[in-house]
Amino acid sequence: MGVIYIGDRYAGKTHLALELANPVHECVKVLSPGYNDLKSILCDPATGSTNPTSVMQPRQIDIQVRLPAGAGKVLVDWIDTPGEMWRLKWQQDNPLLWQQFLDVIKQSEGIMLVLSPYGEMIGANGNPDDFPTFQQWYKRFERWVEFFRAYCPNLRHLLICLNKADLFCDVKQESARLAYNTDSYMMNWHQRHNYILDHYFRPVKPQLEQLNRSINGLSVRCFITTIYDRSLLEIPWIYLGSFLSN
Amino acid sequence: MGNIRIIGPRSSGKTTYLAALAYLPKASGEKSYFKIEPVGEDAKKLAAEAENIICLSESLTPTGVRTKDIFSLPVYQFTIDVKLPLRQPERIDLVVRDYPGEIFDELEAGNIDEVHQAFMQDCFMSDVEGCLILLSKWEEGSDRFYKRVFNQFLELMDNEGRGSNLRIAIAMSKCERGELWPGRIEPEVDLFGLHLPDTKALLESRIPAKNLAFFAVSTFGVLRRDDPRPNRTDEMGYDGKVSVLRQPKIWQPYGMMAPLYWLNSGKRIKHNV
Ligand SMILES: Nc1nc2c(ncn2[C@@H]2O[C@H](COP(=O)(O)OP(=O)(O)OP(=O)(O)O)[C@@H](O)[C@H]2O)c(=O)[nH]1
Ligand SMILES: Nc1nc2c(ncn2[C@@H]2O[C@H](COP(=O)(O)OP(=O)(O)O)[C@@H](O)[C@H]2O)c(=O)[nH]1
Ligand SMILES: [Mg+2]
Repeated sequence: MGVIYIGDRYAGKTHLALELANPVHECVKVLSPGYNDLKSILCDPATGSTNPTSVMQPRQIDIQVRLPAGAGKVLVDWIDTPGEMWRLKWQQDNPLLWQQFLDVIKQSEGIMLVLSPYGEMIGANGNPDDFPTFQQWYKRFERWVEFFRAYCPNLRHLLICLNKADLFCDVKQESARLAYNTDSYMMNWHQRHNYILDHYFRPVKPQLEQLNRSINGLSVRCFITTIYDRSLLEIPWIYLGSFLSN
Repeated sequence: MGNIRIIGPRSSGKTTYLAALAYLPKASGEKSYFKIEPVGEDAKKLAAEAENIICLSESLTPTGVRTKDIFSLPVYQFTIDVKLPLRQPERIDLVVRDYPGEIFDELEAGNIDEVHQAFMQDCFMSDVEGCLILLSKWEEGSDRFYKRVFNQFLELMDNEGRGSNLRIAIAMSKCERGELWPGRIEPEVDLFGLHLPDTKALLESRIPAKNLAFFAVSTFGVLRRDDPRPNRTDEMGYDGKVSVLRQPKIWQPYGMMAPLYWLNSGKRIKHNV
């Protein structure tokens, strides 16, 4: 029963994980590694920025989520998927690593996929040229969908996080709108997902529908995340914890 | 005492029903005739899922698509203290195994695989006292579907020697739905007789009357006694509408205990508890 944290390089996984480990938290707490450990593993002390991770460098994060029925724990395997990994050449040159990767993936019941936004959606705070174009992003998205369909028969919960929300939306407003709150007048999980789907995932809606249908028992949920908003950062983990904690 | 199986097609509400059983004692206070206590890991985990998932208007994960054998299925245990007016207090030790709905669907096709064969045999083991069967469809075509399924089911039941010594409770689930709600008081006539007449006739022809009973159940229930609006909201899922609980604070299932009590004792109680 594995839970996997996955995404392409520069999507922002390291920053998200590091920020999630920030001792100042709401419902989600990283039990291990500690904030400073994580920081020193991941950050280059000279520049203060995060090190690019090598392929398949296995990492685990141990997370505690405060839920209505009490605290739940989720143990997460973290996998970086740099672009070269998807090339047939790389897979042939690294058969063991590739197989190892597939073995982990095949078992997993929960996957949190972190995606970068595309250039066309970037607002005044960012530079669109630093991001893939919509065409590139769209292709990449289709490849993910194909990949999940081919290799993840046991997948029950797929969480897709469109990261760096600070660059494409009004974070304060969206954070207030989407906040996790157990009061029934707030958004429930379906409403939250449908809102994000309609506002941020519209171009790939058909792919999401197809994916959700093609794996028996799968539920695909969309989120927006950013390191600049604790609530948006925590929401996918709360969802994951609700279903896959013990 | 109280060894019971729950079966029914996919998405008929089996796990949600059990989750309500596990969680509601904590939520609904003392007023009921039944004091339910979840026992053991599985039942407690299910109670937590009810609170974390169902109460936040989400659906539970479908059971079983991953199940490889019966031993990997959770077994939910409860002790139920029953204190009915003018009757001696009773205790029911309930042990329930929740099957994935895909088995039931396979029965229709008539070719159940080995794993599912084992599930069915487990269902008819000699120490099983009864089977709660949740059905949720009543629309055009459902009667034919259920009839085919029960043909298979009854044959397996006979083959395992349980044809005349196993109680079968047939319940229409999700009966807070507007079309069904008025039929809840006489489910045998107004739900099964009306919507599933052939299925009903088949069951009656093969199961001794004392071992067969019909019920109406809604795990979500309605808002209040005097406000029969469903305590349910319909949200969009990928394949159309999904029903989820609306107001967890006033969650009061309808008819949840009556079939269990009957399965265990052979005695009927008021239809709405
Ligand atoms: N309207 C209504 N919907 C319900 C009720 N109980 C459950 N549901 C919904 O029915 C769907 C399926 O519920 P489950 O409890 O997972 O069904 P199941 O029979 O265990 O399904 P499998 O495990 O796949 O066999 C969920 O979306 C529930 O929210 C009810 O009383 N009324
Ligand atoms: N604006 C913004 N930038 C982010 C955010 N998260 C990460 N980044 C930037 O994205 C780049 C890649 O992040 P990193 O965490 O190393 O990605 P990884 O390869 O997936 O681990 C870095 O330059 C980060 O500063 C975010 O929420 N908002
Ligand atoms: Mg189930």
